[in-house]
Amino acid sequence: MVRLKSRYLLCEVNVSDRSQLLLLDDRAIMVAVKAAVARTHGDYGAAMCSIRFCVKYLNAHTGIVFLRFPKRCYKLLWSALPFITSIETRGQKIPCFLNCLHVGVKLRVCTKAQYKGNTNYLQPKTNKQLKKHEV
Amino acid sequence: MSAAKVKMREKKMRNQPASVQYPSSSSNVERVGNTGYNPVNDFHLHLYLAHSAGAFARARAAEVSAMLKAVRKTTSSSRVFEALPKHMRRRAMSHNTKRTWDIRKARRRHGNLLLEFNRRQRKNIWLETHIWHAKRFHMVKKWGYCLGDRPTYKCYRACYRAMSSHCLLQDLSYYCCIELQGDEDKLLAALSQLTSKEAGPTFAAALCLSGRRQGSVMVYRAGRYPSQPLGPVTFLWRPRTQGSAHRQLWIWAHPTLKQDLLPELQTVCQCCEAVLPPAAPVVVNLTLEAESEPENTPEAKPVPGTKRKRSRKDATGPPAKKILGDGTRLPSTPVSWRSSSNGIVINDLTMEIVRYRLIGPQSHSVLVDTLEAATGCDKSQTCSLWWPQHCSDEAKMTLHQQQADIFNILKGIYSTAELPSGTVLGLTVDDPRLTLPRKRVKALPCVKQLMLEGVPEPCCQSFIWEQSVRDNVTDNKISEQELNRMRSEVLVPGSRLSPTPLQGRVPILLVHQPGKQVGHEMSSWGAGWDLLLPKGWGMAFWIPLVYRGVRIGGLNMSRKHSQNKAAPHFPRDYPDCPAGMRFQEEQEAELLDKFKRHPPAKRTNYIKHGCVAPFRCPWQQLAEEWEIIVREGSSQTRTTAQADAVTEERTSQQAISITKPPSRFTVLRCMNRKALKLLSAWCRPTTSKGQRPCRVGELPPISCEAMTSFLSAHAMSLVWVHVSLLSKGKPEYHAMLCVPTPEDLKALGNRQGTGGPQEPPHRDHFKSRIKHRKKDPKKAATSSVTPNKPDGKKTDLIFASDLDTNTSKDPKSFSESSSDLVLGLWPDPLPSVASHCSRVTVGWVTQGDFSMSAGCGEALGFVSVAGLLNTLLNQTSEHKGKLLLRNPTSLHYRFAKINIEV
Repeated sequence: MVRLKSRYLLCEVNVSDRSQLLLLDDRAIMVAVKAAVARTHGDYGAAMCSIRFCVKYLNAHTGIVFLRFPKRCYKLLWSALPFITSIETRGQKIPCFLNCLHVGVKLRVCTKAQYKGNTNYLQPKTNKQLKKHEV
Repeated sequence: MSAAKVKMREKKMRNQPASVQYPSSSSNVERVGNTGYNPVNDFHLHLYLAHSAGAFARARAAEVSAMLKAVRKTTSSSRVFEALPKHMRRRAMSHNTKRTWDIRKARRRHGNLLLEFNRRQRKNIWLETHIWHAKRFHMVKKWGYCLGDRPTYKCYRACYRAMSSHCLLQDLSYYCCIELQGDEDKLLAALSQLTSKEAGPTFAAALCLSGRRQGSVMVYRAGRYPSQPLGPVTFLWRPRTQGSAHRQLWIWAHPTLKQDLLPELQTVCQCCEAVLPPAAPVVVNLTLEAESEPENTPEAKPVPGTKRKRSRKDATGPPAKKILGDGTRLPSTPVSWRSSSNGIVINDLTMEIVRYRLIGPQSHSVLVDTLEAATGCDKSQTCSLWWPQHCSDEAKMTLHQQQADIFNILKGIYSTAELPSGTVLGLTVDDPRLTLPRKRVKALPCVKQLMLEGVPEPCCQSFIWEQSVRDNVTDNKISEQELNRMRSEVLVPGSRLSPTPLQGRVPILLVHQPGKQVGHEMSSWGAGWDLLLPKGWGMAFWIPLVYRGVRIGGLNMSRKHSQNKAAPHFPRDYPDCPAGMRFQEEQEAELLDKFKRHPPAKRTNYIKHGCVAPFRCPWQQLAEEWEIIVREGSSQTRTTAQADAVTEERTSQQAISITKPPSRFTVLRCMNRKALKLLSAWCRPTTSKGQRPCRVGELPPISCEAMTSFLSAHAMSLVWVHVSLLSKGKPEYHAMLCVPTPEDLKALGNRQGTGGPQEPPHRDHFKSRIKHRKKDPKKAATSSVTPNKPDGKKTDLIFASDLDTNTSKDPKSFSESSSDLVLGLWPDPLPSVASHCSRVTVGWVTQGDFSMSAGCGEALGFVSVAGLLNTLLNQTSEHKGKLLLRNPTSLHYRFAKINIEV
C-alpha cells in the first residue's frame, strides 16, 4: 500500500524518584531525544529527526512514551536513545534513561502491547476482571 | 486545518489514548486524557498523591482502560460493518449499509431455525413435506397453503411417463377433511339435503356406506339441487362396528370448497354449538415406558462420547416446538361443533391427516415395497403405547393378520387399475424408515396372481379413525436423530434394527383412486392409491417412498393428470360453483397484471385479434346469447303448420323468462347421464384424432323436435367437451371454439391437409380514443363514450342491466370506463361474445395442451348446449361434431373434433 511508513517505539522512562515523572511533558522528551541524536549522529542525524518524528503519547503517571520515527531511519535514531541520561523540564534536570519495550508498525500494536504489559502490574483480581474484556 | 478537518480529526481520535501530563502553568490548559483519573489542577497535591502505591496502581489501571478502549474501538470514520473483524464482513453490507450482519451458524441452530420456520408459516400453512419441496420446487402461495407448483428441474415428460408406466407421488395434505359423527340415519337424512338422487349415487350408496369404497359426489347448497352447486367432494364411511348405529364419516374437500361447505354442513346438521378444544393435549409420558422396559431406554445409560446436552434433556426442553397440523389457527378456535337436537358432531380435521397420492399403474408395487405390515410384540408388556395394548387383544390381532394378508396379495397384481375403483384397505405398518434402502431403487412389480377380489368389509377398518390412537402415534414418534443414534449402535452397520422399537407402528388407510373413467380410450389411465397417515409422520413416509424411484409432481402435474383423464379439475373447471367463480376472478386479475407488465407496444392487441375476453370466459353472457339466438332462429325456420304449436310453447317460455330474473347458467355434469349420452351420440363420437367412429347404442337421431325438447330442459346449460385437433396446433386456455361455415367444411372435405380458415383482422376503435385521451385528458374525461354495439339485443340487454345499477352515477361511470381503457382489451360491457367474429363462438377452452398420449393437441372446455345443438343440426353426418378452435393470440382457425365423453 502507498502510505508513509513509520515505526512506533513504546518506551518507558525510568527515574529513581517516581514523583519527578509528573513534571514530564512531551516537548521536553522531544528536545531530549533530538539532542541525543544530534550528539551521536551529527547533522545528518539531526536532520533525520526533524522529519516526522513526534511523541505520540506520554503518560506522566506511569512514564510510558510512544515515539514515532520514520521507517527509513528508525534504527539509526533508536541507537541514540540509550545516550539519554537526563531530561530537562520546567527548569529541572531529571536524571533518567529510556527503556524500549516494544517496536510496532502501528500505534495500535503498541497500544495492545502496553495493555498487555500493564495488566501484569496490576493485582490478580483486576487482572481477572479485565480478562473478561479480552480483545 | 479547516474547521471541518479538525472536527473530523477529533472524531477520529476520540478513542485514541491521549497523553496524560500536567500543564506547566495553571492558566495554560493542555490536553488532558480520558483516563478516568480526574486530574485536579493543583499540581502539588498530585505530587503528594503520586507517592502512594494505590495511586500508582490506579494510574496503571486508568492507562489500561484507555489502552483497552483504543484497541477495541476502531477509529470512527468507518461504517458499522467496517468495524467488524474481517472474517465476519459480508460483501452485501458494503452495498446496503442498513443491512446488519448476523451469524449464519447461530441462525441455523435447530431451535432458532424452528422459531423462524414457525414465524414464516403463520400466514400460509406449510405441509409436512414443505422443506423437502421448497428445495426442489417452485413454491406458490395458494388457498392459504405453501404448495409446490412444478419442479425446478426438467422432468415434464419423465413425470408423464411415470404416471403412465410407473408411479408419480403427490402431497395432497392440503385437502381438508371434515369428520361427521352421529347415528347413521340421522347423518344420511341431514346429508341428503346436499345431494340429489337424480345426480347419481349419493352419500347413501350401499357400497360406500358399508365402508368398502370411497365415494365421490357433487355437493349442492341445501335443498337447491340443480341451481347452486358447491363442488365435488369425496367421502369415506368408517365400517360399522358390531351392534352400534353410531357412524363416522370423512368428507374430503378442496380448501377453496371448505369455506362454503362447512357452514352448509353446520346448517343441515344443526350443529351450532362450538365445542372448545381441550386446554392441553394429553401427552403420553415416555418416562413411564422407560421404567417398564429398561432394554429400550438408551437415555438411561450414559455412553461415553455422547453429548452432555442430551443428558440434560429433561431440565430444559427444546426451545421451540415444531408446529404439527394447522399453524395458522389460534389454539382457541373451535374445530368441533355439536348438535343438541340430533347428536351429530362435526370435527374439522384439516391438517390432522396426511394424504399422499400415488398415481400410476405401479403404485401398488411402490406401496408394497415401502410398507411392511406391523410386526407383533410381546403381549406381557404393558405400556401406554397403543400397539402393545392392541397386541393383547386377540380379535384385533386376527383382523390385523387378515389385513396384512390382503396387503401381501397386492404384490401379485399387474396394474393398479385392476382393482375396483375406490377400494379401501386399512392397515397397520412398521415405521418405513427402518427399511429404508441405502440407495434409491426402482420398485419393480412381480406378478403372481391376476385378480384381487374386493376387500372384505372388516378389513377396511383402521385405527386411524380413532382420535386417541392418532394422537398417541403422533406424540410418540421417534425423532430422526434418535433413530440415527439407534442405527449407529447396531452391531453390523446397515442391518435392520431389532427388536423394532415399539413406537414404530402406524395405522394407515389405503384408498384406491380410479383413473380415467370416461371415454373409450386409455380407460383407467392414471389410477392410483391414496395413502392416509396420522399427522407428524409425513416425512417419515415421504422419504422411503421417494427412495423407491417414484417421481414427484406438484400442482402443475395434478392439472395435467386431470387433463389426461379428461376430468374437470377443481376449482378451475367448475365455473358454476362459488369456488370456481372466485378462481376465475383471481385468474383474470393475475393474467391482466401480467399483461400490463409488458410495455404497451409489446402487448398483444386482442381487439385486433377479435378476442373479446382473453383473460376470462363470460359463460353467463354466452349462455344467454345462445338461448336468444336459438329461440329466434327456430321461430324463423318453422313452417306455419308447426308454428302454432311452437309459438304457444315459445310464448309460455318467454313468459317464464320474462317473469323470472335471468337464470344462472348451469353445467351438465356426468351425473345427468341420460342427457349427456344423448348429446354424446349426436356428436358422433370418434377416436381422439377423429379417424374411427366408435360404436354407439341405439339412440334417436338429432332432429328439430328432439332438439327443442332437449333445449326446453337445458337451454341455459354448458357441457363439458373433450376437443382434439385434427391437424397441427396447440390449444391454449381461453381459446375459442367456433362453428365452421359450410364453406369451411367443404374446403376441409376437399383437402384434408388444409390448415383452416383465417379470421380477418379487426379494427381497434379504442386505440384512437386512448390516443385522444393522452393528448387532451380533460376533454376525454368529459366526453361521453358511446360503446359500440355491433349487434343488437344482447348488448342492449346487458347495457340496460348495467344502467340499472349505474343510473345514479351515470356520467361518472362513463368517464371511469374511458379512463380504464387498456390498449388491446375490450372495456366493459363486452360486445356480443357469440357473434363477434366471422365464425360464431360456442364456447371456450379451459385447459389445453399437446397431449402426449394422443400425439396431437387436445383441450378440455365448455360449450353452450344451445349453440352446440344448433350447430349439430345444421351439419351433415360426415362432419358432425367438427368445430374450429382459435387461440386468443392467433387469427388462424384450426379444425377440431369434439367428443362428449360419458
